[in-house]
Amino acid sequence: MEELVKNGYSRRESGTEYMFLILERFKAVAQKGDPEDIVEAYKGIVDELKERRPVNAGAWNLVREIGKYLIEKDYDRDSFIEFIEELRRKTDEACWEAARVASHRVMKDDVIITLSRGVCLRRFFKILADNRKKVKVYVMESRPGMEGLDLADYLDKLGFETYLIVDSAARFFVKNCTKAFISAEAVAVNGAVVGKVGSSLLSLASNEARVRVYVIAPLYKFSPETIYGELLKLPEGDWTLLMSPDVRATLPENYRARAPIYDVTPPQYIDGIATDAGLFAPQAVPVILKQIYGSFPPRILRVDEIIESLEKKYLW
Amino acid sequence: MIDMEIPQEVIKIAEDIKTMRIRGAGRIARAAAKALKIAAQKYEGSNDPMEFRRYMARVADLLISTRPTAVSLPNAVYYVMYHLEKAEGSVEELREAVIRAADTFIAESLEAVKKIGRIGAKRIKDDAVVLTHCHSTAAVSVIVEAYRMGKIRRVYSTETRPFFQGRITFRHLTREGVPVTQIPDSAVRYIMHEVDQVVVGADTVTSNGAVVNKIGTSQVALAAHEARVRVFVAAETYKFSPATVIGELVPIEFRDPTEIVPAEWIAKHPNVKVLNPSFDVTPPEYIDAIITELGVIPPQSAILILLERFGWALEKIKQGGIGRIRFEETLEE
Repeated sequence: MEELVKNGYSRRESGTEYMFLILERFKAVAQKGDPEDIVEAYKGIVDELKERRPVNAGAWNLVREIGKYLIEKDYDRDSFIEFIEELRRKTDEACWEAARVASHRVMKDDVIITLSRGVCLRRFFKILADNRKKVKVYVMESRPGMEGLDLADYLDKLGFETYLIVDSAARFFVKNCTKAFISAEAVAVNGAVVGKVGSSLLSLASNEARVRVYVIAPLYKFSPETIYGELLKLPEGDWTLLMSPDVRATLPENYRARAPIYDVTPPQYIDGIATDAGLFAPQAVPVILKQIYGSFPPRILRVDEIIESLEKKYLW
Repeated sequence: MIDMEIPQEVIKIAEDIKTMRIRGAGRIARAAAKALKIAAQKYEGSNDPMEFRRYMARVADLLISTRPTAVSLPNAVYYVMYHLEKAEGSVEELREAVIRAADTFIAESLEAVKKIGRIGAKRIKDDAVVLTHCHSTAAVSVIVEAYRMGKIRRVYSTETRPFFQGRITFRHLTREGVPVTQIPDSAVRYIMHEVDQVVVGADTVTSNGAVVNKIGTSQVALAAHEARVRVFVAAETYKFSPATVIGELVPIEFRDPTEIVPAEWIAKHPNVKVLNPSFDVTPPEYIDAIITELGVIPPQSAILILLERFGWALEKIKQGGIGRIRFEETLEE
């Protein structure tokens, strides 16, 4: 373990896990505090989201929904907690359902290549295991963070024949594979998918090798802001994501590294997005957004507008 | 007639190559050339030119047998033996031909990296952002030379898992003042839109212009191709593989999985196999040019370098195949 930490192995929540954490925090604040505390917590969570997970569309959709609830309803602790629990349940079910839809694309003896360790991705493999679909899986190490190791560990426990490879070996091995499955941090209106860095490289190599690429993304990962031209600004880290301070100390003083965390896979490299509402082409995202929000373009409240309304309603 | 024995000094070099006390493509090649030179100098047999040729052929066979899959080693041997084949006259004249060829090979090999640097630097655009993968002395030479010409704005260097050779590249380039930023290997497509040109080295160049190099090179080239970023491969001519002319595959070595994860991790995961290929193959269509010390060539012209450098050896290889070729048997009485 020490050796792995030296090389930059670290545990980081996946997009959906981060959403669950947000919901838990709201619930905890609601159980102890009053609406003012919830509004303060809301602002804190939004700030943290901007800072730590700016492209986590699921989390943004979540805070928007919670904000809308607080604006529209008269606050009542029990109903709010119930609402939060309901959101948790819906998120959980959507993730399972997207995983189930994706699992239908898998045939016996498929050889799958993947990376990172998203919750819906793990559930996808869990469903395959439960259905006794025998597949082999190539897992990329997934630097920075190396959470591919966690996925390999999970697959090992599920009993799949698993191959762990370095990120550089994706093109080398993709020709042995029949399908690529990736998870998403966000899906933009044009069908572009923000995923763990390396996803776009794997998708490119898969396309070159004529291996189909599927994205597992429940509808909560769709980013309605992108309809209004918002760019998803991808966060980057530095050497701290790539090595321990001990290793850094052995490198030159002026050592400089950029460690992007996400990249964007263009829609033309994606064969299908598996959602809780079914599997469709990435270019069909606007159609799906219309289904969710009832109109296109959907009317969505901006989070800063929500905060203003919440302050007016609860703090003034 | 008793054949002249191979001198101890030559056998020692062969042993050192075999046991990997002598490592690195360039060093192995020069050691082999030196061994042939020593063998020629120490020849004490009869004045029959045929005997000298037979003796040298045995030395050549011994050297090649030490690392049957290496490229630079047989190439050094072919180069010297080619000049012996062409030479005519007395034993003295043949001996001189071998010594001259060995010296030329060694000098050229030492000079090659500098020449590649000078030639390659001309191909770098002004104010260029260059990406390189792994650590290659020839690629570094191109970048440093271009930097001295004031052409380089920034270099992105990949970490290069599992061994992090990118950190060596970082050191070498920053020592020369080149501004370098390291990125994880997974980020090459992400960063490619900021990159103007890619410069990488080669382990082996095949007869159709495919380049065998550190794992990850082919996806760097693929991402560059997608972004219309030019890809240059810096490679000394002794990295071109004559054996591939007869369709031999370049073997890809799979190294120890513990280079990727610790043994205890592997032991805990019985269903997980850790695969650690050292090299991959970049097809010629993703390479814009190969920069050699003889000049810049399109990869598809790799055969030209092979013919220029090892034309005679090609014929021999076609007859027997590398590894099976015996110089001794190819001599005509």
